[in-house]
Amino acid sequence: MTALFRCVGVGKRYGGVVALMDVSLDLEAGKVHGLIGPNGAGKSTFIDVASGRTPGLGQVFLDGRDITRTPPSLRRRMGVSRSFQRTSIFPALTIRDQLELAAHGVGGENISELVGMLALEPVLDTRAEEVSYGQQRLVDLALALVGNPRVLLLDEPAAGLSVAESQALAAHLEEIAERWNVATLLVEHDMDVVFRVCHVLTVLASGRWLVSGPPAELRNDPAVIRAYFGSAA
Amino acid sequence: MTTISTIGNDRVAGILLRRSTLVSALVVVAALFAVESLGSRILVSLLTQAAIVSLLALGVGVLTRISGLVSFGHAAPFGLGAYGAAWALSGGSALPPEAGLIVVVPLVAAVFFLVGLVVSRLEGIGFSMLTLALGQAVFVAVSKFRGLTGGADGVVVNLPRRLFGLSSDTVQSPYGMLVLSVTAIGLLYVELRLFELSHLGRLAVAIRENEERTRFLGYGVRALKAAVFALSAAVAALGGVLYALYQGFVSPEILHWSFSGSALIMAILGGSSALWGPIAGAFSFFFLREGLNELTSHWLAVLGAMLIVVTVAWPTGLSGGVETLLRRLAGAAKRRDTQ
Repeated sequence: MTALFRCVGVGKRYGGVVALMDVSLDLEAGKVHGLIGPNGAGKSTFIDVASGRTPGLGQVFLDGRDITRTPPSLRRRMGVSRSFQRTSIFPALTIRDQLELAAHGVGGENISELVGMLALEPVLDTRAEEVSYGQQRLVDLALALVGNPRVLLLDEPAAGLSVAESQALAAHLEEIAERWNVATLLVEHDMDVVFRVCHVLTVLASGRWLVSGPPAELRNDPAVIRAYFGSAA
Repeated sequence: MTTISTIGNDRVAGILLRRSTLVSALVVVAALFAVESLGSRILVSLLTQAAIVSLLALGVGVLTRISGLVSFGHAAPFGLGAYGAAWALSGGSALPPEAGLIVVVPLVAAVFFLVGLVVSRLEGIGFSMLTLALGQAVFVAVSKFRGLTGGADGVVVNLPRRLFGLSSDTVQSPYGMLVLSVTAIGLLYVELRLFELSHLGRLAVAIRENEERTRFLGYGVRALKAAVFALSAAVAALGGVLYALYQGFVSPEILHWSFSGSALIMAILGGSSALWGPIAGAFSFFFLREGLNELTSHWLAVLGAMLIVVTVAWPTGLSGGVETLLRRLAGAAKRRDTQ
């Protein structure tokens, strides 16, 4: 299958420090690609460069078209969406207002469906700063999903969630990838979520690509265990 | 689920028909009649000056409220509005006086939109310092170009005998200008509220809240930030036009940074948690200045001390304090009803 979203040789330097070097990966429609690795491996940096948040090395393609120099606002309208490691919403706006804004920005018509799926109806007219942290994370996800994006880059969406909330999130991610045929990149530390939803994994260590493959294979890969899983695997 | 697309229209009707809006309008009209019946020229003159300058404070407040940016240079659009009015009425624009006056505010707004495209790249103190520098640059330029602006001597405004159907005596009388400027404030208030409730208004607030996320929702943010800067400049420029009509004379002192500073004090005093905050701040400033001036020649020091107290005790200014008070009263009334 041809990759919908392709990153080739992505890297990032901060002065003399190499945060990420020559990482390539492909995302396919309807599949969840997990990007894992220990802290400081370069996972968030990869998403930042791939989404256009920060300039970096390498090239990014959407449907074969080079979008490396395309600004984030235009990438979003082309269907490349992302969430953030730290909840990135609009605290003073009601959830309805921010979803409307998102829909206006990308021409989305799936707000009602999202609100139903993520159970945001009871807090729709509440300011985002007044809802629970778990609901704020869902709003963050909803903002990324407005307008049925083709590519979804998720940076630790389960961070700070309870076990039950993480499991609910995993169910949502499975549904999103399959039903909406979205190509998803998932950066996540919660291994239960990762192994439940990912079709393929890429492991980073110290800013470099370590290995890629199906989760079941990588779970027992000695290099991966050494670099990341440790005794928890 | 409630229909999302219909909510905007409900809000527009809501603001115009809200009981508090109607009651406020009635109170203002009644106050205007009361002021006239009192017959105090000093009071009317003070109110008129406050009303005109409150548009400058409102311009500063609008920028802070919507964009979260603090301008140290809003005397520039106010002054350019005043000089523009003088220029339009001197026949310099080759347009009839009324038409010339009408284009002044959009012209100033257009200039500040272009300026905004540059300055709104900065945030925080960087933005404030840049506006301060720009304001002083305009002050120096106007002071130096004697041929065009009269330099430090200023220019006399050639008011025609009739303007928009009003006699020049009415326009230049304290009470006539008070009614005119209060009407302008009222209309602007409604328009600004409608803007805040519109899609663009909410988008501007979203940019203030989280500019990066707004970009990742598919929006280019620079043009809208510049537009809000231009809007705030237009509000100040309208104050400048009224100032020129009322005073009949314009000099560079209204472009000086200290005038921008006074407007900022008014905006801080009134607070930006409500749109009417800077207007209330301007009226409070003028009355405080008048009252303190009678007590001591060091009134500015006393005002500064008061400003520190207000900033510390009431960080949201007068408007924030009043809103908190009203919320508490409403909460107490609700509790009484449920008991």
